[in-house]
Amino acid sequence: MKISFTVNGRSQELEIRPERTLLEVLRDDLGLTGTKHGCDSGECGACTVLIDGEPANSCLVLTPAVRGRHVLTIEGLAEDGKLHPLQQAFIDHGALQCGFCGSGMILSAKALLDRNPSPSRAEVRRGLAGNLCRCSGYQQIVDAVMDAADRLREVR
Amino acid sequence: MIDPAIADHEYAGQPRRNEDTKGPDGPAFVSSFLRGDSLAGLQEKTQGIIGRSVPRHDAYQAVAGALQYTEDLRFPGMLHCRILRARYPHALILRVDTSRALDVPGVAAVITSRDVPHNRLGPMQQQHVLADERVRYLGDPVAAVAAETPETALEAAHLIEVEYRELPAVFDPEEALKPGAPILHGASNLFQRQNVRHGNVEKGFVESDLIVEESFRTPFLEHAAIEPQVALALPSGDGVIVYSPSSKPFSIQREVARALAIRQNRVRVIGTASGGGFGGKNEPILEPTLAILALKTGRPVRGLFTREEEFVASTVRHPFIMNYRSGVSRSGRILARHIRLIADTGAYPAMDSKTGGKTALVKGAMMAAGPYRIDNVLVEAIAVYTNQPVASNMRGPGVPQVCFACESHTETIARRLGMDSLEFRLLNAYQEGDVTPFGDTLFSVGLKQTMRQAAAAFGWAKEAGR
Repeated sequence: MKISFTVNGRSQELEIRPERTLLEVLRDDLGLTGTKHGCDSGECGACTVLIDGEPANSCLVLTPAVRGRHVLTIEGLAEDGKLHPLQQAFIDHGALQCGFCGSGMILSAKALLDRNPSPSRAEVRRGLAGNLCRCSGYQQIVDAVMDAADRLREVR
Repeated sequence: MIDPAIADHEYAGQPRRNEDTKGPDGPAFVSSFLRGDSLAGLQEKTQGIIGRSVPRHDAYQAVAGALQYTEDLRFPGMLHCRILRARYPHALILRVDTSRALDVPGVAAVITSRDVPHNRLGPMQQQHVLADERVRYLGDPVAAVAAETPETALEAAHLIEVEYRELPAVFDPEEALKPGAPILHGASNLFQRQNVRHGNVEKGFVESDLIVEESFRTPFLEHAAIEPQVALALPSGDGVIVYSPSSKPFSIQREVARALAIRQNRVRVIGTASGGGFGGKNEPILEPTLAILALKTGRPVRGLFTREEEFVASTVRHPFIMNYRSGVSRSGRILARHIRLIADTGAYPAMDSKTGGKTALVKGAMMAAGPYRIDNVLVEAIAVYTNQPVASNMRGPGVPQVCFACESHTETIARRLGMDSLEFRLLNAYQEGDVTPFGDTLFSVGLKQTMRQAAAAFGWAKEAGR
């Protein structure tokens, strides 16, 4: 079937089988491999993307469900080659070790900060509850999100 | 029979001399410091190096989603591998028929043990690339398919017909040692033994005022890296190129070359970014199969575990059964400790090249008595085969198991003595120059200071007074 939607600001028109997940289409058809494939069951959050600004596990989303909607992946977060403050904060705080959870973490954090620009540490932890990290123990990730919240408020 | 080469190593508690240990290497300033140069001298020589934050070389790529992990690689004509695993935890394989699977459109190859030039892996040569006569746990690979899509590979794997004769299985290491238990390898399920003797434990118990005995068990743990097991092999000249996130690329090279019966310099292993290892990506459980499929089809072949396969067929942390018996004086000194450890290695030994599958057992036995000075220690540790997943390395193999048991035991003893457990620990803790039951002389020991500072920092006295 034919389906049109927007990915990172660019409109896409694809001919796909309806049972294919958004994760497969992003990675295999569009070559956007920054979205990671971890569990195929919505448990780990590595495949998180934003659909109209809301975080979703793309392994659980059938592609026809995003018809006409806006999908943001990690590749679309930097603007004109300049990292988003969240991305920069993840580097500055050493918030990624193996990095595999990072794309999903950063996008879930973006959705949180868009909704709540001044979260408490507990709110950050709740906002990232759907994203598992096996390396870090989460401390540096929370530090990075708190720092990014400060930087984003200064920009506004 | 246990191979005499790996049987029963005992350490008599002879202190090793420092000259025997390998000298310090690395930058000159480090070795000069280790030779006894002053701290001020070290700080001067490292001006601007220590204390400076350096961003990781791949950090920009990682946060931008541009870091390439093995599953992100794409090659023209790439096939997808699916492995058929055992239907029973213990069975003889009577017949494997791949003809229906080969008929599925989109299937490029189906291989069984007959397609593997050298079908044994690891230093112990007990695991196979693909099972030949027998399967010993549910993760045992029996056949592998390479197809145009993962879905086709899965469909074809379901069409491989395997005839089994089911055998009785054993899932508990204590049961596995009883007479009449199903035997997995050779004549006994006893795989290895590691004893540690220090002083005279019986004499220590006689001198003790209180003896405390208790048992602990830990279950198996899966590393559960967010990235599952994955690898990719492609034919190249008269050999193969293997992309893998493995923590041990040279072991992968050796095992792939041996399985293919080709020279090691015909196998090129390229380490990609790893989505988490923790010891779970040490072993060649995917790469040799992919290399054989790549050579057979002349095309790149990718293998990727499902999350379920990750739990069934990748390695796990050894489950331990631990019995602790300690004798203490009324004043709180530990006078004797006798520890018995049973490690469940699962269906096969770990493929550690240096210790012959023994790392978890040796480390567990070494650390079992805890960071305490005890003059009389006996540790009797064994590893046992069962029809469970294969246990191997995971972050400090063998160590968290015994730390959990030992420190729980510490709490029990302190309570029985009516002592604060921090005081009890401080009374027995290692200090400078102590000799461990394994015969190592300790230096730079900061244990007591660390415990005191930690207790002050989190308000131990208040917690203990509740």
